[in-house]
Amino acid sequence: MANTTSPSGAARTTLTLLGSLTGAALLGALHSHARPPPATRSPAKAPVPDPAAANRAARRLNRAAGTLAASVLFDSTVEHYRGQFQNRAMYTPLVTAAMALGVSAHGTMDERQTPHVVRDTVYALISIVGLVGTGFHLFNVRRKAGGFSWQNLFYGAPLGAPMAIGLSGLLGYLSERVRETPPGQVPMIWGLPAGRVVGVVSGLGITGTVGEAALLHFRGGFHDPFMYLPVTMPPVAAIVLGRSALGPAGIARRATRWWLRATAILGLSGTAFHAIGVGRDMGGWRNWQQNILNGPPIPAPPAFTGLALAGLAALGLLEDHPDD
Amino acid sequence: MYDNPLTTPRATHGRAPDVFHPGGWVPMREYPQREAVDFVVIGTGAGGGPLLARLAERGYSVIGFDAGPYFRPLEDFASDETSQSQLFWTDERLVDGANPLKMGANNSGRAVGGSTVHYAMVSLRFRPEWFRSRTLLGYGADWPLDWREMWHYYARAERDLAIAGPVSYPWGPKRPRYPYRAHEINGAAEVLARGAEAMGYQWSETPLATVSAPRGDSPSCVYRGFCRVGCATNAKQSQLVTYIPRALAAGAEIRDMAMVGRIAVDAAGRACGVHYHRNGAWHFQAARNVIVAGYAIETPRLLLNSATDRFRNGLANSSGLVGRYLMTQSNQAVYGVMDDMVRWNKGPPSLTITEHWNYNDRKDFHGGYCWMAQGPLPVEWSAAMSTSRRLWGAALREKMGDYNHQVGLKMVGEMLPHLDNRVTLADETDRYGLPIARVTYSWHDNDKAMIQHALGEMQRSLELVGVRDLWRQENDTNHLAGTARMGFDRETSVVDADCRSWDIPNLWICDGSVFPTTGGVNPSLTITALALRTADRICVQARTGEMRK
Repeated sequence: MANTTSPSGAARTTLTLLGSLTGAALLGALHSHARPPPATRSPAKAPVPDPAAANRAARRLNRAAGTLAASVLFDSTVEHYRGQFQNRAMYTPLVTAAMALGVSAHGTMDERQTPHVVRDTVYALISIVGLVGTGFHLFNVRRKAGGFSWQNLFYGAPLGAPMAIGLSGLLGYLSERVRETPPGQVPMIWGLPAGRVVGVVSGLGITGTVGEAALLHFRGGFHDPFMYLPVTMPPVAAIVLGRSALGPAGIARRATRWWLRATAILGLSGTAFHAIGVGRDMGGWRNWQQNILNGPPIPAPPAFTGLALAGLAALGLLEDHPDD
Repeated sequence: MYDNPLTTPRATHGRAPDVFHPGGWVPMREYPQREAVDFVVIGTGAGGGPLLARLAERGYSVIGFDAGPYFRPLEDFASDETSQSQLFWTDERLVDGANPLKMGANNSGRAVGGSTVHYAMVSLRFRPEWFRSRTLLGYGADWPLDWREMWHYYARAERDLAIAGPVSYPWGPKRPRYPYRAHEINGAAEVLARGAEAMGYQWSETPLATVSAPRGDSPSCVYRGFCRVGCATNAKQSQLVTYIPRALAAGAEIRDMAMVGRIAVDAAGRACGVHYHRNGAWHFQAARNVIVAGYAIETPRLLLNSATDRFRNGLANSSGLVGRYLMTQSNQAVYGVMDDMVRWNKGPPSLTITEHWNYNDRKDFHGGYCWMAQGPLPVEWSAAMSTSRRLWGAALREKMGDYNHQVGLKMVGEMLPHLDNRVTLADETDRYGLPIARVTYSWHDNDKAMIQHALGEMQRSLELVGVRDLWRQENDTNHLAGTARMGFDRETSVVDADCRSWDIPNLWICDGSVFPTTGGVNPSLTITALALRTADRICVQARTGEMRK
């Protein structure tokens, strides 16, 4: 029987190529040991908290928040441009994401062990803006004919999207809390071990992002088998991260680390998958002005990378500062 | 050099146009004329297309004949409303009766792919009770088919055509998930939704045969709104880009620009081939079996034109019912103006639907109807305004200024079968020297009652959402059916449940003309499901030896 459901030609070739590359990268992540576990990591011998380790974790969180912010910046620019900035409030995520990106870049390079008042304020502010944006999007969906129907969830303002910038702010805010850890003490946030808090936040963030990917890939009818990847692999990452964050600390979590790395890789290769998807629309990349707006969102998948990086930071915190 | 598909056949020399690539070709098997092929299929539309693909995929030698051109969607379809007429069957036909049908735009097609090349892609299932409308609902005639079996073939047709439909359909028994998600609704479709909600009726996105995400080499719909001029993006899953490429890949041959004028019958009373006109001359193709899929006018015309001494009243016509029980569907509309900008021409024309009155029997007439959102392009719109509203000159020009604020609802309603609505042969002949069809049609009291009911309902729903300047388009009809009805016995029908003619065992009829009743939904998906079933039945009968009987 003739195959009329798979693409032919360049789309087929690039999809195969990218699929193999992604597979190879995932295998590579399994075998690489970026950082051998230090000898001090034995539950029997409580380690002395290392201030440099706290700073390292904080900067990792800045990097995660920045990755997320970059994804939001480009994604909301494209999507709100598509919506013709009909409401002036639609400029908000462009401003906040740009600010988050700026302060995150600053934080990533900042080796001081004290929080920065501007960074701290910006992060706190955009966490709130993310919540307000969610409210806006909820309102947009609700007022359409049919209310909370599949039609409006698919094509109305995406409910989960504003929380991505909120998460970026929250991760940044947590980063500042880790950074202000006094020398010789275990990083704590809200009276809880920082590694556990960051782990739970990242895990929930991944879960939410999976929800959004699932909704939009369902809208696309899962027309390409690769579209199942972001709704199958990251959920496992979220579960194993959750187990690490809530279970005993101070032990090497090789599997968790691999799943998080895999999720980070998936976020990056998702960008390329989406670019191929754009090329499959009418006129392909020659018609980029329309297809970038109507095809799969190219900047969206790295949200997974940002959250996976946060998860890896959490894992580092748990391993550096075992609390049990 | 541009080869004009309207004058020169394209599927020749062992190759056929590759509809997905400009200037491309796909290999095509060719069969000699003198050696009998297993099947000749006359017509390549919603009925012929699936038969060609399924029979070829089962290993039969098959040739599909179409009187129309083999279009290349990416090159031949312009964003120009007036180029639309190249897709219609505009050969002369005589129309009479109390309500003569307007032939052409929405009831015919002349192209490889048939009218699915220009249809509005609305892909609906019959209400199950309609297959037993005489027994269960008290009108029309029963189909010799079980709705559950049709449900199975509907599902397969929906998969093959990658129908983009709602996550859950509000009416009728449960159906499997549509392969693709529904499209984003446009302004006109939202007015239907709000109007239905104001009336307390359910509404839904319309299941459409145009993809909402890429599929194979089809890109997703770009909402140009030129669906009925021929989709220039290939998002539309017409026969031309679905079953026909499958058929070619499986070894079928397509003969475009080939008008079949006569089915030949041998001394034993079996069909033995077809006489067809191509490249300016008549030819004969020998065949072991013949399937007619030319739709409700051309199918009976061909059967009647193929009369012999043995079959004086035409082939398959011992019942005298070939050409009888012609049905159309009422297609009346209510239009009005919104204060807000609507831009109803953006996207497929019928994005939302309410089947409320198909599934609700508390009404004082038989049959059902649905209504859908509308989005006629400017030329069609000005034609409707001038003919139905009698506007001309400055008055027409002024009203056309409201185009982007215009909204409308259009019904698809079930007209009941009547013996006297029919297709016969006229004395006049066409360019091939073949007698042309005379189409006689009159509305009956039930049809008129339904139309008035629908117009009232549609008008009320528009009034409830603040549409002003309302007017009714009362004269339109569209899809056809009947003229070779299927049934339970040879006295009261032309074909059996397998679409096999009672009189000639190797002659099948498989298109809308076999419908005993037409239902209140667009017929294309039912025709396709029927064709898939017929292909399966043919294979079963071939296996059991029943074919030779």
